[in-house]
Amino acid sequence: MISRKKKELLRMGLQSLLGYPMRTVLTMLGVVFGVGSVIAMLALGAGAEKELLQEIGRLGIQNIIINSVEPEQPENNNSSGGRRGWINYYGLKFKDHRQIVETIPGIERVLPVHLSKKKAWNGSRWIESTLFAVEPDYFEVFGLEIASGRALSPQDEEDLARVCVVRSGLLQELGIYEDPIGYVLTIEDQKFTIVGVLSEDRFQGYAQKALVADARSSEIYVPYQTVLKRQGTRSFSGSAGSWEATDVELNQIVVEVEDLDQVILTSRTIENLLSRNHPEKDYEMIVPLEVLAQRRKTQQVFNIALVAIASISLLVGGIGIANIMLATVTERTREIGVRRALGAQKRHIIAQFLTETTTISILGGVLGIFLGFGLVQILVIFTGWTAVITPISILVALTISVAVGITSGIYPARRAAALDPISALRHQ
Amino acid sequence: MSQPIISLEGIHKYYGEVEPRLHVLKGIRLDVTQGEFVSIMGTSGSGKSTLLNLLGCLDVPTEGSYFLGGNDVSQQSDDELSRIRNEDIGFIFQSFQLIPQLTVLENVQVPLLYGDSSIREKEEHCRSILDSVGLSHRLSHRPSQLSGGECQRVAIARSLVNDPLILLADEPTGNLDSKTGQEVLELMDSLHAEGRTIIMITHDQEVALRAQRQVRIHDGLVIEEAS
Repeated sequence: MISRKKKELLRMGLQSLLGYPMRTVLTMLGVVFGVGSVIAMLALGAGAEKELLQEIGRLGIQNIIINSVEPEQPENNNSSGGRRGWINYYGLKFKDHRQIVETIPGIERVLPVHLSKKKAWNGSRWIESTLFAVEPDYFEVFGLEIASGRALSPQDEEDLARVCVVRSGLLQELGIYEDPIGYVLTIEDQKFTIVGVLSEDRFQGYAQKALVADARSSEIYVPYQTVLKRQGTRSFSGSAGSWEATDVELNQIVVEVEDLDQVILTSRTIENLLSRNHPEKDYEMIVPLEVLAQRRKTQQVFNIALVAIASISLLVGGIGIANIMLATVTERTREIGVRRALGAQKRHIIAQFLTETTTISILGGVLGIFLGFGLVQILVIFTGWTAVITPISILVALTISVAVGITSGIYPARRAAALDPISALRHQ
Repeated sequence: MSQPIISLEGIHKYYGEVEPRLHVLKGIRLDVTQGEFVSIMGTSGSGKSTLLNLLGCLDVPTEGSYFLGGNDVSQQSDDELSRIRNEDIGFIFQSFQLIPQLTVLENVQVPLLYGDSSIREKEEHCRSILDSVGLSHRLSHRPSQLSGGECQRVAIARSLVNDPLILLADEPTGNLDSKTGQEVLELMDSLHAEGRTIIMITHDQEVALRAQRQVRIHDGLVIEEAS
């Protein structure tokens, strides 16, 4: 509780500021811009972190994602590794999937995924699409939302049903404008009935890369067994009279670990198993939890750098206050002398000047927070970045403002208090 | 005769650290009793300003004792001197020394800031003092909007706010024309009539004669007293 006396001293300090409104506002500007930029930088940092969390969070932090990768080989070296004759074998095998299921403990589920590039036709219109052969759980694991119709079901697997779930973007590209549920697409030479449409909420950035998702959202999800049993895993591509075949049994294995604490350990065990099966490393393992930790660390370093740069303007603002206050001390020497003659002790003079500088900086801080909000809005509108203003950043900004006010006030205040009252009274 | 409210005994004041030091006051003796109106006269360089500073507790003597209201205040700490100035001394300056950004009422309230009593409690008190100096219609004006005479009346009101033991006036009419100067002197007469102890420093013989007792200072010594 502030005593009445302190309140009166505080009020007197404020009156002095109101006596010179223009100077007060100009002095404040440094802090306004400093705090504004600190708020904006913190918001951008927090926004980047949020985006990161969303991006990588989509992958599921309890998941381990293993992707097949085509190994780099010299053109004519046919004898080594998985490449035999004109068929290019590489990547994850059914055996890997089976062994993970059978030998790795603490696993909730293991999802095999097979990908192939296929042409999808609607009458005479076609587009190049990515066919995702997935088990029904895939939708749940990656949080794919069905906008209309249904997801793939275990029954579809059993029936080897020729059904598919598509993205709405694909419908537009193929010119399907009526109700797509029940519509039949031709994928290569087989007919698939659309049973569900996904919302346009796409994987972005890192998540898109990790899941080998399509940037143009022309993914088509079909039952895993249907593809495996009806089409096999081999795909052909031909050009200029020659043709090539690729045989990748599984493009992706998604392992969901039961216990979050076991994710890293499980990933190491799987790595051991896979490295035995694949002496030539034709797979990559993505552990979202690990990626998240690394990215966060990088982001934090970046955030600190951003805020440090923004703080420089705050520092300049503080120097501005100190500078003006020093000038004020000279200008108000007589006032200081009068106050001393009327009974002000040194501490009263110090308190008065600190009140003034702290008020300037707190007011500047508050205005700076508003400026920060504005800056962030403008940045978001013009750049499309994500920015989040957190309560903690507001607290940080205010704390810094108070600190700036006090430190910039100390020297001028002490100078003012040290003035000899007699000569201060005579000062012209 | 009653106990003097001010008693200076063998006051010396030197300036400077190294010899030859400037010897300004050379053994001043002076007693002022409660309710007296004393003028101190002297030419420029006679030491009257230095004496005023000592009397006002803005400075301390190099040698000698200064009793104010029975207490020795000649060797007090800076904070203690501030407290004495606040409670026991009312200053009236030649150039008024009002704070420009504060209103008339706020200027009068300044001494309250540094004392024990609160401004709110004393608000009525301040208003009545301003009323008694004829400024109740000017409460929210700033010094720049007042005439010189009005400014000096604000300063007198300010000097009274803590009900001090002595009023210390330094050339109170020096910056005023003779008519307003007269008004201010009349105001001081009436304060004296109320029983206030007033010490007025001036170089003006005519002004000095308004006081009940005149003290003349020359070359750091009291050379003549008349009453």
